[in-house]
Amino acid sequence: MNLHASAPTPVDQMVEKAVIDLGIPPCPAILNRFMVETRKEEPDYHRLASIICSDVSLSASLIKTANSPYFGVRQRVRSVNDALVILGLNIASRAVAGIILRKTFPTVPNMERFWDASSRFARLSGWLTLQLDQLELAAEDAYTFGLFRDCGIPVLLKRLPSYNSVLNSANNEVELDFTQIEDAVLPTNHAMVGCVLAQSWWLPEEICLAIRHHHNRSVLASTASPPPLLSRKLIAVTQLAEHLVQQQLGLSLTQEWGKLGATCLKLLDLDESQLEALALEAAPVIAADE
Amino acid sequence: MNSVDSLTGFLNRFGCFHTAMRLAAEATGNRQTFAVIWLDLDRFKQINESFGHLIGDEVIENLATRFRPCVSGRAEISRVGGDEFVLLAPGFDRTQALQFAAELADIVQEPLHIGSLTLRPTASIGIAIHEPNEDPLTLLERADHAMFAAKSKGGNNIICSGDEPIPGRLGVTLAREELSIESTLHEALETGGFCLHYQPIIHADGTVEAVEALMRCKLNGENISPMKFIPVAEKTGVIIRLGEFSLLQGAMHARTLHDAGHETKVAINVSRAQLVSPAFTQALHAALLCSNVSPNLIELELTESLFMDISDTVQQNLKEIIATGVSLSIDDFGTGYSCLASLKDIPAGKLKLDRAFVTVLPDDRRALSVVKAVTQLGHELGMTIVAEGCENQQQIDVLLEAGVDAIQGFFYAKPMPDSELLPWLKARSHKI
Repeated sequence: MNLHASAPTPVDQMVEKAVIDLGIPPCPAILNRFMVETRKEEPDYHRLASIICSDVSLSASLIKTANSPYFGVRQRVRSVNDALVILGLNIASRAVAGIILRKTFPTVPNMERFWDASSRFARLSGWLTLQLDQLELAAEDAYTFGLFRDCGIPVLLKRLPSYNSVLNSANNEVELDFTQIEDAVLPTNHAMVGCVLAQSWWLPEEICLAIRHHHNRSVLASTASPPPLLSRKLIAVTQLAEHLVQQQLGLSLTQEWGKLGATCLKLLDLDESQLEALALEAAPVIAADE
Repeated sequence: MNSVDSLTGFLNRFGCFHTAMRLAAEATGNRQTFAVIWLDLDRFKQINESFGHLIGDEVIENLATRFRPCVSGRAEISRVGGDEFVLLAPGFDRTQALQFAAELADIVQEPLHIGSLTLRPTASIGIAIHEPNEDPLTLLERADHAMFAAKSKGGNNIICSGDEPIPGRLGVTLAREELSIESTLHEALETGGFCLHYQPIIHADGTVEAVEALMRCKLNGENISPMKFIPVAEKTGVIIRLGEFSLLQGAMHARTLHDAGHETKVAINVSRAQLVSPAFTQALHAALLCSNVSPNLIELELTESLFMDISDTVQQNLKEIIATGVSLSIDDFGTGYSCLASLKDIPAGKLKLDRAFVTVLPDDRRALSVVKAVTQLGHELGMTIVAEGCENQQQIDVLLEAGVDAIQGFFYAKPMPDSELLPWLKARSHKI
């Protein structure tokens, strides 16, 4: 199928320029066009595919996402159209948002590795919800949360020269909450920045609240609402995904599992032996995603 | 006697009491404890009255279906009244019962789609843990009392008998129209149905002093009046999310205007609910960092309801806002809760006179006297005075003569979408 790129309108160009200047997509132009189409009663898949195809690397990234072992597709996905059908509109649109966000920070060093890790946690989170079906978590919510959980980090890296060293300290902190280290020296933290961004992209409230509180031990262990239980389960499942990936690949090492692991296991209703069994099952899936 | 509730298939009041007697006897024998969780739906009477008992029954049946898998194997559940459920959980201690109650509260809060309406019920929950040799009736009464305590806190709360309350989401009482607006608000939040419009504020010298960002809501092509949705958003707590959305979008737009060569301040409304939160300045900094805008291009308009009670947190937030370089203005001055003390306590650089003083001009001489006195006082304090709601040239003439520094109103411009603001500013700068 030959899919032609749709010509960007002057408004799109203006927004795209704003994206380049500001470094943060207000609601990225391509995503906006894509979302407008997905919200129609009968979305036109050809039009959606043509919007994606207007950006070569976006098309490639979406196809790569659909071919990830987490989606369990036997036959290899070769076109954007197939990818849309395989992923479904919701996952596809959030994957598109994630890819665009990642493209927005090309100048920040080590960002590629950061986004690789985020996408990996997102995909494994989605896979975990399918294994832990008693949690009644939607795979697409876990995937979306995993993808955007740390989207405040690149913003702070880009804006604050000192953030790199703050990030290192927070990653190595074994006692205090991650965000407490940020709060001690900065006027805000990556969880708040991520939440404000997620709200402006109209992500569901539970996901926004999960982003805001994802390092907060007392909130995670509390039984009071808000945030709702769904947000706490999302935090737990992605923290587990991060732990499993780190354990196996040694990527993006943090101290978070040591601080949050026990509460996460409780929220996920898992004991240590079940965790070991799950880690064994996840191993080939993580390896295949390499 | 029948012990089953016909609508839900759960135990009824009679069945509940007998089960409680059995469990109390077993618990005493085994030296084990058990918990009573008394759950009462908030606003259910209103749902019944507004939509009829059939819809009310549908809500109960839906909730019963949701409760079943969560309760199965953990507790005996009964429906003891129209909207009241009692769970008897053997072996549960206080912590486990609180966890269980929080799960139930979450289940209740999941949106219920009934016809075209989406309801988001909440529940008040009371917990009592069986004490050795306690008779079941007293135990049930304690749970019921705890539930009432939760209800009297405004609902959507969980309270353990004999314990301090555990705070929950804002409890609300809404009439039928408000319920429908609440449903619309949530739908608009999920589909991106909110945006900001901007209304210019014109300085006496003809330049644009600032633009005020005003929240607009559109759903399925229909505009929902801010007069309707803002009060509901305030009651339900949605205003915090809308407020944070405004902070980021307003700051982004200030940056867009700056890049287009217009150093125009964007004035963003801040609600009381936002400013009483210790996390407010973190959200403000997040918006400033994301938009990469200079703080001196942002002004925060404080609504009058803030002046009811200026707590330490609010004072601290105000101090920190000023320290960032963002400026403050006092909105709707002269009516409602605003008072002269606010001029002393709030480090604002701008004062916006309420439209009530403006719309009656030029005829109302007493209103004009108030305008003159407030303007003089404001100037003494080094403040800029803005008059809101100007609709004609005569009003502008008397206001400027009274010493007012800037004018906002339909006479100059209505609130407009962001796409129209830049062309408007360009056209205006050509005129000057």
